[in-house]
Amino acid sequence: MKLGNLIISGIVTGSIYAAFAACVALWYRVSNILNLAVGDFAMLGALGVDNLVRVHHWKLAPAIAAMLAAVSVGAYLYDRTVLRLAQDGRTRQEGIVVTFFFTFALSFFIEGIAELFYGTDVHAAPAVWSGPSLSLGGGLHVDRAGVLVVAFAAIVGIASALVLRGTLQGKAIEACGENFFGARIAGIDNRKYRRLLFILSAALACVFGILESPITGYTYNSGAALSLTGFIAAAYAGFQKPGKAVVAGLGIGILEALLGGYVSANYADTILYALLAAAVLIRPSAMGLDIVPE
Amino acid sequence: MTTIPAAAATSGRRRSGADRGPLLSTAFVLIAGLIIAGGSADSYFGGVVILALTYAIVTAGMAVQIGFSQQVVFSQSVFMGLGAYGVAVLNANLGWPSLLALVVITIASGGVAWVIGKAVSRASGLALAVATLMFPLIAFGYVSYANWLGGSIGLSLTGTLWPGGSATLNGILTVVIVAVVVFATTRLVASDIGLEMYTLGVSENTAQAMGVRTSRRRLELFILGSVLATLGGAVYAGTQLFVPPTLVQATAELSLLIMLFVGGRRSVLGAVLGAVGIEYVTGISNWISVHILLIEGALITVVLLIEPDGIAGIVSRLWRRAAPRLPFTGLTTEAVLVPPPVLGQDEEAGISGELALAEETQTSAFRQHFAARRADEAAATTTLLEVRGMAKEYGGLIVLRDIDLTLPERGIFGLCGPNGAGKSTLLGVVGGSVRPSAGTVTLAGEDITRLPAADRFGRGVSRTFQAVHLIRGRTVLDNVAVACLRSQRSSLLRGIVISRLARARADAMEALEYLGLGELAYREVGSLTLETQRMVELARAMASRPSLLLLDEPASGLSEIQRERLRGVLRAIGEVTCVLLVEHDLDLIAAVAERILVLESGALVFTGTAEEFRSSELVNSLLIGATPTTTLGGEH
Repeated sequence: MKLGNLIISGIVTGSIYAAFAACVALWYRVSNILNLAVGDFAMLGALGVDNLVRVHHWKLAPAIAAMLAAVSVGAYLYDRTVLRLAQDGRTRQEGIVVTFFFTFALSFFIEGIAELFYGTDVHAAPAVWSGPSLSLGGGLHVDRAGVLVVAFAAIVGIASALVLRGTLQGKAIEACGENFFGARIAGIDNRKYRRLLFILSAALACVFGILESPITGYTYNSGAALSLTGFIAAAYAGFQKPGKAVVAGLGIGILEALLGGYVSANYADTILYALLAAAVLIRPSAMGLDIVPE
Repeated sequence: MTTIPAAAATSGRRRSGADRGPLLSTAFVLIAGLIIAGGSADSYFGGVVILALTYAIVTAGMAVQIGFSQQVVFSQSVFMGLGAYGVAVLNANLGWPSLLALVVITIASGGVAWVIGKAVSRASGLALAVATLMFPLIAFGYVSYANWLGGSIGLSLTGTLWPGGSATLNGILTVVIVAVVVFATTRLVASDIGLEMYTLGVSENTAQAMGVRTSRRRLELFILGSVLATLGGAVYAGTQLFVPPTLVQATAELSLLIMLFVGGRRSVLGAVLGAVGIEYVTGISNWISVHILLIEGALITVVLLIEPDGIAGIVSRLWRRAAPRLPFTGLTTEAVLVPPPVLGQDEEAGISGELALAEETQTSAFRQHFAARRADEAAATTTLLEVRGMAKEYGGLIVLRDIDLTLPERGIFGLCGPNGAGKSTLLGVVGGSVRPSAGTVTLAGEDITRLPAADRFGRGVSRTFQAVHLIRGRTVLDNVAVACLRSQRSSLLRGIVISRLARARADAMEALEYLGLGELAYREVGSLTLETQRMVELARAMASRPSLLLLDEPASGLSEIQRERLRGVLRAIGEVTCVLLVEHDLDLIAAVAERILVLESGALVFTGTAEEFRSSELVNSLLIGATPTTTLGGEH
């Protein structure tokens, strides 16, 4: 029973990692940029909806719609200003500055804004599917929010894997990340794909934050940890395959829950990260991320 | 080829400028630091600057490792923690003086970094970044529950760095340490080892082909960055007298990176000023420190949009605009790069076409070497390279099968074949970048089958690449100097003490003049035409005085006239060394090669002279297609 409940909680945590990993991998695939701000979009969704409902007495549905719209517009504006200036000008910036640093700066910026508007307290969006936790029989329990989180992660992972594998758009997306100029010559508008998928992953993260926040609760700086776990899980899929990233995220979540339950509650994360680091170093080439795009 | 006096003058001036750079930077740090520390170390303002300087020690190392050599790691804050906690434990628990603890822990960290670096330098690029990103997470997770390290509260020290010293004395000591670090790191990046590290950062393949032992350099860079981070942490403990666990957190790592990138990632002085500037600004204004996330986020974005090399890059760009003729070596390591253009396009084309081999009156070691090679009668018949039973397969896909090949010490040997025939793989097997599945490669009687590319370079194997692999951001001279370094066996520390870059540059100049490219020496390679870039790559391959030269499609992308000029150059090179030439331009091959080999589906199907090549049915059907009207033309 302990094992069963640990695995359930591992799957829920793992789904959180998985969803962010899918968002990171999906956008890296098209832009060769790691979105280190993805968790902050989730945080904005959770705190924004909470603020609208609790302080401004909005209904839940319009509050969610408003935050989704706000995050999408924000993502659009970011692409049209910063990413356009960095990448679409005469000299296209590439390498580590672009791969890490612009989204990293964006993450700081969003956290700064959230701190300004929502303060430093822990809040959560109201539960979308409220009620007591569901019993699965045999003493196993799962939160309703957890069910939503798992379902959402599964949908995102499967859908993005299917789109990439089976559709022409998916192939175009792959081409964008493979070779920027090659894709352009083949008539693929990689700027459009970069923009669309950036907005999409921001919106997905936002939805995810709203669904997930009843479980953990968010503060203005919760996003960084989420981006980080998403980034790590995506790394195990070579930052390329959203479907594989979902699996990696789930695996990491379950491993973390088991370590916490059976080895040490205090050191679960430490041991987990040590194992993950060892996994990279034992076979760096297995992850397909030997090469930083030059 | 007559050397234009202006070029020589430029070279002299630039060389002395490069030597003064580290001294100027160090003097600046020392004077500015001493004024602040000496004048106001016990004030709040002085305290903020001293704290900032402890970070500057760390970011100076990061500029070398992460910016200049492009080895992105996220483990600096962990080593900073090692230094800080190490000094704190030795001082508070064992009663050691802080300064002694600092020395011991900094030296010990070299050993720790060596062990971790051995594991870490297995990875490069993103894998390296991901693996080391875990380190702050692991360290913080451990430290915040470790009672002997003060857990989530932290550790206090009992004594400052300077035993019983005032804030002023400790401040001065900090400034001196920072100045020493700045001196050592700026000297390192300006040295021949620095050029190796820069090349490694741009492309591992190029570095290996030029003899750089990349995994060793990566390990040394990791140790350097880690030791400096430890030193920074130790100074932090010795001046702040308290070590919080947040020092090793991932957010601390990110703060260090912000300092580095805002200041200028490739410039030591930029990184130091970035650390001081950001710490200082957040330290003096409450409003800024409250809105720090917002401001830092916006600041990084704006600075990086204007200039990826941060504020140091902006200053250096402005400086170059204000005084375009003066080499600027103080603030950015880019100083070695990009003087103003001296030649127009027409002149450039003329120069690269001209071949200066004929003038034996000028005596350079380089010319003498090749003159001796040319005079050596036996060279055309002595065996240099022997390939026996060579095969290569990639997971069942056979790329090369049972290749036998013998080449003498002199002459051009053409290798052609349809796309996918295995030409580049064969070149890679000989050059050492591809490990064969079976067979042996013997060079001058020595079995080199298992030697990596870098070691083969040392034995006289040199190569060019199908796509031009020049080191962007460096001058033509430095691009060629990479092949003349002879520093493969030196440790990184030697680069701090003695730089042999000036000698390598002098050798490189000879090679450039040999190919008639001397006047382009101080141009940035990115500003050259493709033809000139290919000629520079050829000069780089020749600069090491190779016995075996591997050329991978040197004519691709060149116009007819440019190919004509290339022929002349190749013929001259073929008189002094053995050239294995892969090329799709059959006319070019037929015109210069004395023997031509044809690969088809991984097997050698034809070997013969240019005459036999032209008249061969097999070659015509294989390479030209069945159309009877198109056959190989003669010389143009």
